[in-house]
Amino acid sequence: MEKVLVTGVAGGLGRLVARRLSDRYAVTGVDTSRWKSSPRGIDTHVVDLRKRKFEDVVRTTRPDAVVHMGFVRHFRASDRERHSVNVGGTRLLLDHCVKYGVRHLVVLSSGYVYGAFPENPYQMDEETPLSASRNYPEIRDLVEVDSLVSTNIWRRPELRTSVIRPVSTLGPRVPSMVREYLRQRRVPTVLGFDPMIPFIHENDLAEAMTLAVDHQLQGVFNVVGPGEVPLHTAIEETGGTAWPIPDPPARWLFGRLFRFGMLPYPAGLLDFLKYPVSLDGSRFAEATGFRCKYGLPEIFASIRE
Amino acid sequence: MADRKSAVRKDDAPGRRRAKALRQRRRPTGILSTLTDLVGAFQPMAVRRLQEEIEDRVDGIPIALNDYGFDRYGFHPETFRKGSLPSALLYRYYFRVENHDIDRVPDGRVLLICNHAGQLPFDGMMLSMSMLLEADPPRVARAMAEYWVSELPFISEMAARMGSMVGTPENCIKMLEAGECVMVFPEGVRGMNKLYSDRYQLQRFGLGFLRLALSTNTPIVPVALVGSEEQNPGLANLESLGRLVGAPAAPITPTFPLLGPLGLLPMPVKYRFYFGEPLHFEGDPSDEDAVIQKHVDVVRKSITDMFARGLAEREGVFR
Repeated sequence: MEKVLVTGVAGGLGRLVARRLSDRYAVTGVDTSRWKSSPRGIDTHVVDLRKRKFEDVVRTTRPDAVVHMGFVRHFRASDRERHSVNVGGTRLLLDHCVKYGVRHLVVLSSGYVYGAFPENPYQMDEETPLSASRNYPEIRDLVEVDSLVSTNIWRRPELRTSVIRPVSTLGPRVPSMVREYLRQRRVPTVLGFDPMIPFIHENDLAEAMTLAVDHQLQGVFNVVGPGEVPLHTAIEETGGTAWPIPDPPARWLFGRLFRFGMLPYPAGLLDFLKYPVSLDGSRFAEATGFRCKYGLPEIFASIRE
Repeated sequence: MADRKSAVRKDDAPGRRRAKALRQRRRPTGILSTLTDLVGAFQPMAVRRLQEEIEDRVDGIPIALNDYGFDRYGFHPETFRKGSLPSALLYRYYFRVENHDIDRVPDGRVLLICNHAGQLPFDGMMLSMSMLLEADPPRVARAMAEYWVSELPFISEMAARMGSMVGTPENCIKMLEAGECVMVFPEGVRGMNKLYSDRYQLQRFGLGFLRLALSTNTPIVPVALVGSEEQNPGLANLESLGRLVGAPAAPITPTFPLLGPLGLLPMPVKYRFYFGEPLHFEGDPSDEDAVIQKHVDVVRKSITDMFARGLAEREGVFR
């Protein structure tokens, strides 16, 4: 049985992916926090990606494949912490992979790396430049991780590497930024803007990650769900009330709210509420035969519980 | 082509049904509904009939919608059917639009290439009404909005709901590949603000549309609009003044700037659309300009010929 190492295994998505993989692979999981009720058969370790102990885990288990999801995605941590864990951790992980003969690496990136711009084309494909760092220093680390791993695809071809860029993920178990946003009772939006936003159910994303391991994909792949809806429709369908604020004051207000911990994301990400970021997922679908199982109504219902 | 349409229709049936259910759920109640009923009661019969006609036509558009009644680009038939009434009224009673050979517009992907004139883009509005009210099946003519339109609050949202797209070449290719009907005015602002003395003389065409047609293998339907070129005669265009204030042009017409912004409104000329035979071009989309220009000249010639026909046929500018 092939061995798979999963980083960030105690996170919402980590658990889903590890469970799926454990049917077919010997799964080892690492995370900085404990997965209390981890199922038998999944060997978990509490380690920090940046520490010696993590390298020990890689050395002793000698995985055939690594699924890298050990990131800090929320904004409660400082910029420096995010950068250190996300970029620093990924860099070390790449080195370990090469050093210990890992054959396949799957990295969870994000569709946000393309950035939200008024001139964004519809259904952007994987060749679209990663412009997020142009305007959004808050998610620069996301882009940095993505390009670090993407350049690795041709720098070290002996390590088959796949970068997965999913659209906004919703579901009962994955505490994604967009879920925390939609779960608010009054949801702040930008007056006069209602961009189309694509969504995917967490189970579908977990399935996609698993397929990437099964197919030993190499390359960059967008992963999309059943489609996109206007932001205000998503808010309505998830049971919230939109609270439209005109742009310049909104930027100021969002900044305040974020500082006092009343908003889960910084004001810089406001543009994601103004301009659409929709992705073309046909490359992944062709490579793996992936088809999402959850429709938009199920996705929205899933976060209301 | 017939396959595509029926497949789409079947696929989106639940989408349409759900959208309809949502519509019923959100019907206004109480005072609001009484008010809308009252307004409805005082509407002239002709307006009500036109509204019904629009609703029928919008329902007949072959397009795939999601569970909430939107297509993937943000087009919302529900908004479209409400927003179309003013333009449909202009279409029927102000410009009294006439269409010739609209059945030449083929099913599936197609580029409508039309002349542009008259200070404000009523030509685009009316062409999209022609495609909605007279084409069979009814189509959404996708306008290519300038990309800065998407930075404007409300307008950006409305533009998307009414079916226009962020006008980049990539988006146009995607729309055509998805089988949509896209309208392009290759004269651009050069045409819109042309002088009265230049009426029915096509200004320089951009070449982009032909490259798009070649790379997506899309038929081009040339469209000549007779009437718009007299709707608001340009006497002069002070381009440098326009540039100074950041506008693309600064037209002087008999009524503008004399009457302020209202002076930009058109006179009640009669609009006549002439649709040409679909043109199919083959070649390398990245060929040099000279090669592309030859194809473009074929399109221009077709429009110019239809101008001649239309001008000969009409009895006057206003009737």
